Parts: sequence; structure tokens; C-alpha cells
Amino acid sequence: MTGPHRETKLNEYVDGTLAAHDRASVEAHLADCAACRAAVAELRSLSAAAASLPKSIEPGRDLWAGVETRIAQRATWNVQRLQWRAALAAAAAVVIALGLYRLLPPSTAPYRPAGQGWAAVQADFDRTTSELGLIFAAERERLRPETVVLLERNLAIIDAAMAESRAALARDPASVELRGLFAAAARQKVELLQWVVRVAAS
Amino acid sequence: MHSDPTDLIHRAQQGDRTAFEALYRAHAGRVYALCLRLTADRALAEERTQDAFVRAWERLATFRGESAFSSWLHRLTVNEVLLGRRAERRREQRVVTSDDPAALERPGGADASSGSALDLERAVAALPAGAREVFVLHDVEGYRHEEIAELTGIAVGTSKAQLFRARRLLREALNR
Repeated sequence: MTGPHRETKLNEYVDGTLAAHDRASVEAHLADCAACRAAVAELRSLSAAAASLPKSIEPGRDLWAGVETRIAQRATWNVQRLQWRAALAAAAAVVIALGLYRLLPPSTAPYRPAGQGWAAVQADFDRTTSELGLIFAAERERLRPETVVLLERNLAIIDAAMAESRAALARDPASVELRGLFAAAARQKVELLQWVVRVAAS
Repeated sequence: MHSDPTDLIHRAQQGDRTAFEALYRAHAGRVYALCLRLTADRALAEERTQDAFVRAWERLATFRGESAFSSWLHRLTVNEVLLGRRAERRREQRVVTSDDPAALERPGGADASSGSALDLERAVAALPAGAREVFVLHDVEGYRHEEIAELTGIAVGTSKAQLFRARRLLREALNR
């Protein structure tokens, strides 16, 4: 036995991980090789010394105070974070309800408040998605990277559909069909962002 | 005062910080020893020990008792040390060499370590990081190569190669 092959065999022999026929082969070699016998003795001695090193070493100073401070800070931060998220979610829910109500075509929303123009509808929608987007930005690190990639791809598709609807509505602002198309895409975006907020919070 | 470990864990899981402090007192030495040997840096080991206990507090709810609490805590500690090392990769590597043996002396407990054990501690501290981590996990802590591969993200073959390299370097250092 020579070189790295020898080192590997002797280590595995000492660790007891060799197959029976390899083990027999090493034992036959050891009977004739004083250098390898010495190497095996050293390896055994080293492993035994390592295994008997003290398992516990007291730190040079008390580390509990630092641990306790950080735990307390996290607890405060978690409460603030939950309160902030609950407030945003509540605000977003109100805006979503208002926005979707206004986005409905006139035939399905007979009690739509008078005087609510298209600009107000878009502003509501923008505010809703902006608030949900804020939550997404704050929580995205809690999501798996592949989920974030998929999500961003889907949001891009929805944004493209909405941009087309907006452009078409700019040419024909009174079209019920175009408003319906825009509303469908807007609903998808809001639902997707709501889903993200739920997943990130779980 | 000795408390039932299961009761302490249960109380800590309910948010009882006094119970968690008792768990810290019971396990700090073991966790610190692991961090010190893995990092070979006393200041870094203190940091990682604190990181490990903060993480343990955050994740206590996930401890279901399938394994011993100490095993769960040690795995979590190894993860914290390895995560920390990745984060520090761009910083200057702070490896204690045999020129700085004081960093590995046991504060308040030097008499429990024989001269040869101290020589071994110093030699382990001077190993390259990858070889040191595998040696500490395998030969000192008793992890299997499969477990080391899972914890560190290296292949089983690489774990074996690092272990054999570490042992060769240690034999050379101790025979000088």
C-alpha cells in the first residue's frame, strides 16, 4: 500500500468502515508492515484523544445577558410587526372592497355612488396594490426564492394585461366590456398579493 | 435547584424566559465548546453561542422531542456556525494558530485539561477551516459522515477526505 490510497485504507480500517474483504486485506498487510502498524496506532490514539476532549467549556464571560436582550428585542419587534401588518391588512381590505365595488360595471353595481369617475377607481386600485405590495416587499425574504420568482413572473403577466386594458380604456372610456376586463385583471392581482401576505404570515 | 428538563422545555416553549435561562445554564458550556472548536476564535465562539441560543428560543416550538434536546440544540448550533462562516467569508479569516494558544485555554478550568489535550486543541485550532470542521464533528462530537454531509452541504466523500487530511495534518503537528 502506498500514497493516498494507503492513507484512505488505514483511516477507514481504524474507523471500521471497510468491507470484510478489504479489512482482511489490510490486516494481512499490517502483519508485514511496521510503518503501517505504527500509522494505525497513531490514528487510533488521535481519535481516542479527540473523543475524550472535554465536551463542555465554560465561556470566559456570562453570555446570558446578551441572549436575553436579543430575545426581548425580538419579542417587541414581533409585536410591532404583527400590529403593523394587521393595520395594513385591515386598511387594504377596506380599500379592496371599495375599489372592487367601484370597478364593477354599472349593470351589476346599481348602488354605485354617483360621481365616482374612472380616475377615482384607478386611484383606489393603485393604493390597494401599493399597500399590499409594501407587505410583499417586507415579507418577501420569508418566502422561498422560487416562490418569489414565480410570483414576480405572474405579477408581470397581470400588469401587462392591465396595461393593455388601461390603454384600450383610454381610447374607449365608457366601454363596459373593457372595464370588466380591467376589473378581472385587477382582482387577480389583488388576490395574488393577498395570497402572498397569507403565505408569508403563516 | 434542579428542574425537570422536560418541564423546563415545555415552560420555555410557552414563553417562560426563566425556564429558558435554566436551559441556557445547563447547555451553554457544551454549545460554547462546540462553537469554540468549530470557529477556533474565542470572540466569534461567544457570538455564535449567543446566536445559537437566540435561534433556539425562536425555534423552540419546532422541538417535538423526537430527539434529545441537547442533540437538537447541537445541530442548530452547527447550522448557526456554518451560516455565520458563510456570512463572514469575505472578512479576514480569524484562525487562532499555535502562536496564540491563550485563546483556547479554558477560563477557570485549565486544570481539567492535560498537556497533551491542550496540544491537541491547539493543533485542531490551527487546521484549515474545512478540515477542522469535519474533524471536530466526526472525531470529537461523534457525527457520522452522512450527518456531516447533510449539515455542511458537502458530499460524503469530501467529508471523508477532509477528515483524513485533518488527521494527517494533526499527526504531523503533534509529532514535531
